[in-house]
Amino acid sequence: MRYFWPVVALIAAAGLQGNLPSAVSVFGAKPDVVLVVLVSYALAADPEFGAGLGFVAGLLHGSLVGFSLGSFIVTRTITGFLAGLVTTRLFSENPLVPVLSAVWLTIVCEALFLLFNPRPEIGIAFRKVIGECISNAILTLLVFYMLRSLNTRRKIKLANARI
Amino acid sequence: MLSILREKAVLTLLVLIALGVGIGAGHNHALDRGSAFVVSDAASLVLRPSATVFHLVGVAANTAVRVARPRRLLLRENADLRREVVRLRRQNAVLTEAAQENERLRTALGLKQSSRIEMVASEVISRAESTWFDTATIDKGSRAGIRKGWAVITPDWRLVGQILDTDAFSSRFVALTDANSAIGAMVQRSRSSGILQGQAGDYLLLSYLPRDADVKAGDVVVSSGMGQVIPKGLVVGRVVKVVRSEVMGSAKALVRPSIRMDQIEQVFVVKSGQGVPR
Repeated sequence: MRYFWPVVALIAAAGLQGNLPSAVSVFGAKPDVVLVVLVSYALAADPEFGAGLGFVAGLLHGSLVGFSLGSFIVTRTITGFLAGLVTTRLFSENPLVPVLSAVWLTIVCEALFLLFNPRPEIGIAFRKVIGECISNAILTLLVFYMLRSLNTRRKIKLANARI
Repeated sequence: MLSILREKAVLTLLVLIALGVGIGAGHNHALDRGSAFVVSDAASLVLRPSATVFHLVGVAANTAVRVARPRRLLLRENADLRREVVRLRRQNAVLTEAAQENERLRTALGLKQSSRIEMVASEVISRAESTWFDTATIDKGSRAGIRKGWAVITPDWRLVGQILDTDAFSSRFVALTDANSAIGAMVQRSRSSGILQGQAGDYLLLSYLPRDADVKAGDVVVSSGMGQVIPKGLVVGRVVKVVRSEVMGSAKALVRPSIRMDQIEQVFVVKSGQGVPR
């Protein structure tokens, strides 16, 4: 049950990913909505949950793309695990935490992905990673606080039901 | 070191990575053989409703924007379209006449008649799903008869890409701009042919041309039909720059694709091994 809503959110994110208008791209890269949802959930959880959710995120995203399914699964699993570690070691109320986490986790995730799938044009790849970091950081801030507020409301509802 | 490995989270991570590598290897094997892979097919099936819903939301938003345009713009567009209809009717009459003449001459010369092109009409429900791959998903799959390798074209005969894999209800295609894409292509004017490769960017590279190949900026590039997979004569793009290498004794041409991935809505999937489209 712990995985139900996060997986539903990942499925919705994957559907949205393929229908994002090109106007939202920064330096030729659109935000990776699936990665953003994964990071947003994993940041508020533990490494084990993060790795499990990363596995599902990679499976969904890789199946959507049709190429390099294994690379998608492995990179997202590691990213989810690392995002979960952030919670254990660094978590704070500061909004900079999700933003900076999104940036470095995007860099780690895409660097690992490029290691498995080298690109012919290094310059273009570098520019795309920068663009993706910027758009992911902005989107993570929105998604992270939206999910947190939903979670708080659900907890209050549960507490009220118990009373 | 061993104590780290004993931690439950690290063990979970290692198990999931091993599972991911196994699934990846299985998927690659299925892609090479052109067969179905049950894990990714199941995931695609789960994703399809979500992709369709967001696609329909996008279509509705586009329609709303179009409908909300001022009357002045609509009248201007209407006048432009009427002019276009007149121009196309005239062009159609000329082309019909030319086609009939072509048929008569082919019969007279005893040449083989080109058969009707077999294709499947489809709609793009999701596109450019990743930063690193130019792929898209269409709403027809193996149940509609689509197979791996078939060409994907726009209604005005421009080549978009090739089918990568299919499941029962949807298919993914890889665009020409993707780094994994390579097809036989030639310069329409001079018939100089080479291999057209995607560069994971906005342009394509026509390579393996002879150093003194007759190619210049502005030339139209079409598919060469080599290998009998993609029909010959489909428009691919236009040459923007030619680089000739004295050392390698070859030339390369940078080609701008005739269509961008985000402009594609409806496509036709053309069966492999067919002749020149008419």
